[in-house]
Amino acid sequence: MRLTRRRFIGGAAAAAVAGGGIYELVDRLGSSPARPAVEPAGMPPEQHLLDLTTTHSEGVEVIVPPLHHAIVTAKLDVGDLRAAQTKLEDVLRDIDSTYPLTPAGLGVTVAWGIPYFDKYVPAQAKAHLPHDRRAQKQVLLPTRRFPSDPSTTILETNDLVVLLRSDRIEHIEAARKEIFGLPFLTVTSIRRGFAGGGFDGGRSLPKKMALAAGVPGADLIPDSAELFLGFTSTQKAGLGPGTIANHETLGYVDLRSGYFRNGTHMHLSHISEDLEAWYLNFDFAERVLTAFRPGMTDVRDGTQTVAQGPPQVSPESDLVRQFHKTGRFGHSASIQATSRLQQDTIGVDGTHYAKGTAIPQRADFNTLDNPFAFSIDPARDGVRKEPSAGVHFVVFNPSGDDFERNRLAMDGVLPGGTKLSVPPRNRAAGFNSVLTTTHRQNFLVPPRRHRSFPLAEL
Amino acid sequence: MRVTAAVGLVALAIGMLAHGAGAAPNTSCPAAWAHGWQSLADKVGAPVYCPTWMPNPLDARIGGQYQDIYSIGKDRSYLVSFLEHGDLGSGDVHVNFRGYPGRKLIPHCPAPVGHGTLPCFSDPVGRMSANGIRATVYQVNQGADQWHVLLAWHYRGGLYTVSQHVINPYDSATRVRQNLQRLLKSLVLVQPAR
Repeated sequence: MRLTRRRFIGGAAAAAVAGGGIYELVDRLGSSPARPAVEPAGMPPEQHLLDLTTTHSEGVEVIVPPLHHAIVTAKLDVGDLRAAQTKLEDVLRDIDSTYPLTPAGLGVTVAWGIPYFDKYVPAQAKAHLPHDRRAQKQVLLPTRRFPSDPSTTILETNDLVVLLRSDRIEHIEAARKEIFGLPFLTVTSIRRGFAGGGFDGGRSLPKKMALAAGVPGADLIPDSAELFLGFTSTQKAGLGPGTIANHETLGYVDLRSGYFRNGTHMHLSHISEDLEAWYLNFDFAERVLTAFRPGMTDVRDGTQTVAQGPPQVSPESDLVRQFHKTGRFGHSASIQATSRLQQDTIGVDGTHYAKGTAIPQRADFNTLDNPFAFSIDPARDGVRKEPSAGVHFVVFNPSGDDFERNRLAMDGVLPGGTKLSVPPRNRAAGFNSVLTTTHRQNFLVPPRRHRSFPLAEL
Repeated sequence: MRVTAAVGLVALAIGMLAHGAGAAPNTSCPAAWAHGWQSLADKVGAPVYCPTWMPNPLDARIGGQYQDIYSIGKDRSYLVSFLEHGDLGSGDVHVNFRGYPGRKLIPHCPAPVGHGTLPCFSDPVGRMSANGIRATVYQVNQGADQWHVLLAWHYRGGLYTVSQHVINPYDSATRVRQNLQRLLKSLVLVQPAR
């Protein structure tokens, strides 16, 4: 089922692809969503927050994601840590002054991996890295595989990652070149992708891009689907609001010195999606119960945006009961056991979060990378030229343990110790049978004031 | 693999399936293939559909080099399958013909999860007409038709289907639907001799 090069460039998109890569098609095939012209008065202390507009899709309020995304990972070769810190911060401040912090401008998030803290600032890290008091573990955990991951999933060891988000690809490219022109950064991978479109009823960007690239199953994607798998995933009520994913907000984390206040945890993975298996083996009703939960019978055929607010949250007891009744569980329902607040909660800043509120803030986007647009080690990373449907999954949680709880629940391992016993990657376990995770890594996102070489100045 | 039709039938199927037209096609089954299809019609005691075109490289000669499955159930339902299994990754070409004489409703197949059953043909995504037949296009199918796009229609109280696997070299549902359109156009009825 491999695509040939001839077929890839043989379609209407051939000229664009030959000219500068498949992602240039995003500009040709998509149009920028309407954005407010008002520039935020100041930058928030959090790096991971980007003020996004909302619209309505099939009666549900949804967040409109930026059209373009890029992720660049790197390793460091630094002699003078403080000089490097100054240089990186100068570049980031220059970018800040060039682009407003909006999708029309640019969102930049710099995060750091365990290898950086271990190699460059081990003593400071020991004293200042936040601690997850709920899990009794470090907030930044070693990257691990999960039960449904194949043994081939690569656990990466990058020093840092930069997430770039914008409706304008030229903003992303300019910032990427500026940041990674610094001599002490060696790029290890570049990952690109797109999301959105389609909320106005027209053909969405993922559908257009998949068709242009000729990936298997492209013709089966619903025309206006926000993402390849056909369902909207940016329901406002399904994403963590405001600063809920900050380390400190829900009280899960001991900030210790407070250096990382306004920071968060970021997990990055690449996941291949088998679109043909999804659309040819699962009928619409089964796609609904797989993506959401068994017993969800009130979803009209062809619906793409399913409400995911607190009223739709399944308690763990319902999840377990449904599993014993049907032998299967849905993706959303399994994760909700850990990703939603189990009771009304007051954040440290006094914000009231209702029971059922989502905690994670996802920033995932579809890709045709196979698995990356660039790798410094293409053999290790299994890079192929043929485009492939997938998702670069980015999620912000208060801690690494909080992410792991969600990811384990996706495999039927619930936080209270209950295990919904399904073989790994079985069709009974949500999306797992059509997803394959190729790469993973955990990162810490410092607050904006410490985004450049955190702890190096201490 | 022979799909065993379970006892349960889908009530909705009557509404979903389009009926074949009363007029019989005006061409005949190719001479080299006719014996096998006539024999099948005689065995099931009902009309069967013989294709006059098959996707390359297949032919539809029952008993020939490409025949894969030839199965007739106690209820007179049949499955005739033609397969070219390519070596060295060149892919498969796989076409199934089914008939359920005297049955209008879609049979049920074992569910892939749990102990229940589900319709053997589901996710109707459109209609296709040719040759006096108005068929429903099903995108999600079970058993020997798994990963196939399938056309189903009624004729004289019976249910008939033809399906093709979505796989290299016909590696998109769009390409398979083009083949199925051509197959539908090529079908001729073979009546039982007795």
